[in-house]
Amino acid sequence: MSPYYYRSVREGGRVRKEYVGSGALGEVAAALDELKRRQREEEAAYWREERERLQRSAAFLQELEETAQILTRAQLLVSGFHKRNGEWRRIRESA
Amino acid sequence: MKALELSKEAKDQLAELEDLSDKAANGDKQARSELRRALRASTPAVVAEASTLAKKGECVLIKTAAAGEPLMEEALLARLGLLRSEIAGPDPSPLELLLTEKIVAVWMLTELLELLLNAQLGDLPKSQRMSHRFLKFYLGWQEQAHRRLLSAIRELARVRRLESRIPNAQTNVQINVSKPNGD
Repeated sequence: MSPYYYRSVREGGRVRKEYVGSGALGEVAAALDELKRRQREEEAAYWREERERLQRSAAFLQELEETAQILTRAQLLVSGFHKRNGEWRRIRESA
Repeated sequence: MKALELSKEAKDQLAELEDLSDKAANGDKQARSELRRALRASTPAVVAEASTLAKKGECVLIKTAAAGEPLMEEALLARLGLLRSEIAGPDPSPLELLLTEKIVAVWMLTELLELLLNAQLGDLPKSQRMSHRFLKFYLGWQEQAHRRLLSAIRELARVRRLESRIPNAQTNVQINVSKPNGD
């Protein structure tokens, strides 16, 4: 390990190096930064899994919506409706 | 957990209905009568399968919302049953049943999201609090669920209105006044 420890700091989209210390102080600061980085990674992984779990649990809704949409459209078409300008209207039967 | 989905047979039937609907919408009269036949033949099976799927999905959402509390699970199940019968009403058509399932399922999702968000707003230790990125995703998802719920309710109302042949709220009145003779 380098005897000098620099910490990367992000400021306004730019990354600059910040001198922390050397020797034992530098090593402790480096270990603490590494610990925080791992905690952040673990937390991000946890929330990612949580998000995926929720999305999988609700995935059936997509199937349900598509099914309802197809059956509704088919039912309205055979019941004598047609879609005009985004609105369903009854087809006028000619006398 | 494997995502819940319809069987291949149901999906094939839906694809056929979609294809025939496209043709019928484009004025193909034969496709319209074929669509009528296909719809009559496949609707009960597809609706039954979709309802089963919805109920299984609701159970998953209920388990998440109840967080292992059997009483809460039972209460939510009963609430969904009540909601289902209130929305479907007496003697619903297969389509009304399906749209009811859709409304109930999306309602359950919005409830779940509300519950989880309320838990986050309580006194949780910092380690259990949502990250900002997750919260942003979460609020977006909640908004989407609300939109889906409103759209599902509108869809059922529209189908009922159209099927019952009740005219739109908008009524155009035309009065023809004949000119007096000689003018």
